[in-house]
Amino acid sequence: MKECIFAGFGGQGVLTAGLVLAYTAMEHELNTSWLPSYGASMRGGKANSTVKFGDTPDEVIGVPMMAEADALIAMNRPSLDYMAFCKPGALVLVNSDALDSEYDFPADKDVHLIPAGEIAYSVDNAKGASIVMIGSLMKLTGWFGKEEAKQSMCNMFAEKGKSKLDSINIAAFDAGWDAV
Amino acid sequence: MKKTLMKGNHAAGEAAVRAGCMLYAGYPITPSTEIMEHLSARMPEEGRVFIQAENEIASIHMVGGAYCTGKRAMTATSAGGFSLMQEFTAYASDAELPFVIINVVRSGRGIGSLEPGQDGYRQSVYGGGNGDYRNIVYVPNTIQEMVDDIYEAFDTAEKYRIGVIILTESSMGQMMEPVIMPDYKFMEGQPEWAVTGTHKWDRGSDGLGLKRKAWAEKMERMTAEMQRWEDSGLEDAEYVFVAYGLPSRSTGEAVKALRAKGEKVGFIRPQIVSPFPAKAFEKVNRDVKGFICVETTEFGQMVQDLAITVKKEFDRNVPVNFYPYGIGVPSVKEVLANYEAVKAGGYKEVF
Amino acid sequence: MEDIVRLSHLIDKPAPTACPGCGHLVFFRIIRECLDELGITENAIHANGIGCTGVHRAWQNHGYVPLTAHGRAAAVATGIKRTNPDTFVYTFQGDGDAAVIGLAETLNAAYRNENICVFISTNTVFALTGGQMSWETLPGQKTTTTPLGRNCDLTGKPMHLPELICEINPDVAYAARGTMNSPKHIIQLKRMVRNAMEAQLAGEGYSIVECMSACPNNWHLSPLECREHIEKNVLPEFPLGEFKKRGAQA
Repeated sequence: MKECIFAGFGGQGVLTAGLVLAYTAMEHELNTSWLPSYGASMRGGKANSTVKFGDTPDEVIGVPMMAEADALIAMNRPSLDYMAFCKPGALVLVNSDALDSEYDFPADKDVHLIPAGEIAYSVDNAKGASIVMIGSLMKLTGWFGKEEAKQSMCNMFAEKGKSKLDSINIAAFDAGWDAV
Repeated sequence: MKKTLMKGNHAAGEAAVRAGCMLYAGYPITPSTEIMEHLSARMPEEGRVFIQAENEIASIHMVGGAYCTGKRAMTATSAGGFSLMQEFTAYASDAELPFVIINVVRSGRGIGSLEPGQDGYRQSVYGGGNGDYRNIVYVPNTIQEMVDDIYEAFDTAEKYRIGVIILTESSMGQMMEPVIMPDYKFMEGQPEWAVTGTHKWDRGSDGLGLKRKAWAEKMERMTAEMQRWEDSGLEDAEYVFVAYGLPSRSTGEAVKALRAKGEKVGFIRPQIVSPFPAKAFEKVNRDVKGFICVETTEFGQMVQDLAITVKKEFDRNVPVNFYPYGIGVPSVKEVLANYEAVKAGGYKEVF
Repeated sequence: MEDIVRLSHLIDKPAPTACPGCGHLVFFRIIRECLDELGITENAIHANGIGCTGVHRAWQNHGYVPLTAHGRAAAVATGIKRTNPDTFVYTFQGDGDAAVIGLAETLNAAYRNENICVFISTNTVFALTGGQMSWETLPGQKTTTTPLGRNCDLTGKPMHLPELICEINPDVAYAARGTMNSPKHIIQLKRMVRNAMEAQLAGEGYSIVECMSACPNNWHLSPLECREHIEKNVLPEFPLGEFKKRGAQA
């Protein structure tokens, strides 16, 4: 089973980014769960989503709460607290635009600093920082192929009636993929 | 059939539509509200009735009004909203009127919290209102199982002329999982108890003595027919975990990990807690050292039904352990730690 | 002649459990007569109230539903009518039921303008529980919970339900108050009931008819004295009339 935490402020796209991963897993016939933080977080506070999916189609997802994550996507500084829920050696992708000073990362984490906001801006998708992170995540983990993941992402947005965003989302994904 | 990634509450609402629910009346309460929001769009689309009522008392009575006339009806609620409905559930049970309620439990007394919890167990199982009665209570632990339970709930309610509660937790309502939605179905024909201009409500049995007998027969029948659970590793188990809902998913993981380490642990996951799956216990190793109940309550609710069942099933006094997880969903680590504590005699069994 | 035959089925049933001189049964008989005259008896469902009005449901021979606990009749009727729009649906409640414990259900059904008829038989007391104060108890009236007479400084003044409903929702189809203390008033009351029923049949929306009813037992008066009491004491507080006429602009 794989586990990934997406965390940031409400509005930074961390719920949507989690959905992209869960949707991709579903389209690969894997069991998956997506669990959002709830309550005040929905209104501009600290938000997160936890995604789990099986390694094989037969694997059942246990408890959907964050426990021992393989990867953390931290869109802001407070989100780094969730490293406490990461396995040793876990991948930590940090939105470096949100780190205003040095941060003392633990040695047992595979940390990548990615200027996600800046990259998103450069591909004319100012709101797409979390999609940039998805591109980087997919490349670094190798969980799903590049084209398949992008297709699932577009399918997910199509279901929400947001297909018109496909081109800028693909641009953000590709930029994230190339950034690592 | 195509799987879709759906939020638990949306899936629950959609399952009711597929099951032929003709009226939804409700009052918003977190964390159940998305069921209502989903149905506010879907019911009119299907030419069915959606009512936002003034409170939970009114909404459940609207459900009762519709169901009296043989029209499938449902509401969803949580916490204090479910408490307000207990006047109705008592009346409906007395009248042997079917109804369906989805109780998306948030934990705590009174206003409580938005965290998931399981302290709605007793109120759901034992009726909650005045008088002695029971509801049939489904306790799914995945969104797909919840959808299937809701799809079946109306048939069950009508078959036994009894209230059916789908007991879920706030996180079940908020999380997403892939689901396959069943086909549309409808109630077949008009039930013979339905009220019309020429047919009064027929309680089947009037008079307190007769009614008691009818209820006893009904309880016996449904207890035999509604045994539903999943189990593993019971035959050689030294300790048997019992859990339902989201905690059963932590427990399932913990049991797998313990088995991998060679620990002789078993697991019973009730899929329906009322009637309680007593039959599951027949398979348990006669030399079992104890049961461990994993539920998120403060003083233990299901553990009491478990203890009674164990007392009946074994000739000797088998310890039933319970750790009060309070609110939320226990992590696998917590379940494992408490298992070690039980094994080491770290805390005393409660029954 | 046909009317006599039709009405005869009222008396097939076990004798209603009502006290001599009870106003509820006069009102209920008028409702039954109107149902028969409109030919809708066999397509009518009755959501009953609690208390004496609930007891009288045994006098019923068409569909009634079993679970209208204290005050919820309007909500139950809503559920019935919305899923059975072609069925005639009405409630029969007392003032303690509709105007006190069920005030929320009563007002909210009117607020939504549900296409149902609400018939309220007001005897100014909680009758079945033994004569306690209701919101419609007269100022100074002695009840078992106002032994010195109702003191409106402490309890509020009598509630006027049809008028209140017209305030809550001026768009309701019909709102009226009648009484049963004389043949003249009974004929007027019957006209009101007919209007309310026809309003529902025409899909015009919510209608309410309140009947000021006698309660000899709890008023400690003879049936004859009750008629006088209504004329002299009740009607000055609760004026008769149509507060919302059918088709009238809000």
